[in-house]
Amino acid sequence: MAVDPSDSSVEAAHEYPPELSRLPPGRHGLPREFVVHNQRERLIAGLAEAVAENGFASTTIAHITRHAAVSRRTFYEHFSSKDECFVAAYDAVLEQLGERVGEAFRAEQEWPQAIRAGIAAMLSFLAHEPNLARLCMVEALVAGPVVVERYDAAIQSLVPYFREGRKGRPPEVLSRLSPTTEEALVGGMVSLVSRRIFAGRTAELEELLPDLVEFALTPYLGSAEAAKAARQG
Amino acid sequence: MRPPPGRQQLSREFITRHQRARIIAALAEEVMAQGYRAVTVADIVSRAGIARNTFYENFSSKEDCFLAAQEYAVDEALRRVVEAASDVESWPARVRSGLASFLRSVATEPALARTCFVDALSAGPAAVDRYEQSLQAFVPLFRIGRKVSPHGEELPSTLEETIVGGIFWIIYQRIVLGQTEQIEELLPELIEFALTPYVGAEAARRAATEG
Repeated sequence: MAVDPSDSSVEAAHEYPPELSRLPPGRHGLPREFVVHNQRERLIAGLAEAVAENGFASTTIAHITRHAAVSRRTFYEHFSSKDECFVAAYDAVLEQLGERVGEAFRAEQEWPQAIRAGIAAMLSFLAHEPNLARLCMVEALVAGPVVVERYDAAIQSLVPYFREGRKGRPPEVLSRLSPTTEEALVGGMVSLVSRRIFAGRTAELEELLPDLVEFALTPYLGSAEAAKAARQG
Repeated sequence: MRPPPGRQQLSREFITRHQRARIIAALAEEVMAQGYRAVTVADIVSRAGIARNTFYENFSSKEDCFLAAQEYAVDEALRRVVEAASDVESWPARVRSGLASFLRSVATEPALARTCFVDALSAGPAAVDRYEQSLQAFVPLFRIGRKVSPHGEELPSTLEETIVGGIFWIIYQRIVLGQTEQIEELLPELIEFALTPYVGAEAARRAATEG
């Protein structure tokens, strides 16, 4: 397959790190939009497609190589197992998601708006990439201990964004925040998002924004302020 | 002593129930020791000290047994939560008693808790479905809080799901870290977390520290 530099889809691909530029946007076996040379990237994309189609447990290396259009031998030149390929895909998705959230958060001056922007970025990414959303929020748990550890770490990595909210709060607010406040907030939000993805309602994720913002801000700002921040667009 | 004739049926039912509970406990212990995927029916049978036939009289497969374990654990935990909560008057106090009972269930049945909170997530779609149902089962208990909340009607519709999800996540984390023995220490924090959206931080703190 030749690369046509005037092809806008190739240009769009530059926004993404190489591992993700090949990942398909839909789950309907759309024609490949991005041309990629790197076999490893193709395999990672092939895994995402295969897992979206079959679920992790039923996905075979043959599924992956078929979607990636590479030989079985090529697969084993890059990965020793399905698990290893999954971990590579998972890391690529998480890195991308983490960057999006971080950028959105840092672009805002005020913490409540930054939290809102970060949550919005997460929901938008997942809603627009249903295959990847499923891969990292649902299939990850099925994929065994290696990924489960990464999944846990990814969720924990959101904790500092919320902990920022403690800065500059009056002592009476700080005294009532417990050590696990942020963990419980993050866990609750991720749980809600995962449940929607699991139920096949990924496209509706962005509608959760006001609810999640209010939920996240309440311990720091109180209900009234949190509700106000949630309703502001 | 022979049981009276009329009670024969009941007695067999009791034995069956007892057997099921014993097999479920054996499954949970085996899952805790080696993970769901590695466990075989032979492992469960040997741990339970029963005949293979007895296993198949009660369950059609390892998966069937796993789903029964989830159902049993959730029913049991929910029953205890409702029972604990029925002793007290105010809703915040009921949340307190209910959560205390829930954490106690986790602390006293670590293998079963692990089965439900950790292994259920990777034991196939039916198990995940059941996990979802168990989470949902706790939602109405929190939804009552809207009636006592001064702004109950304005609370986000997903609030209860998010609260239960947060509590489950904290419990999941502690189980994965092997800290089930200390899990009851989390009670005040989880009460505050659950009550704050309904009654505000001050009242939540009072409910958490009283009692």
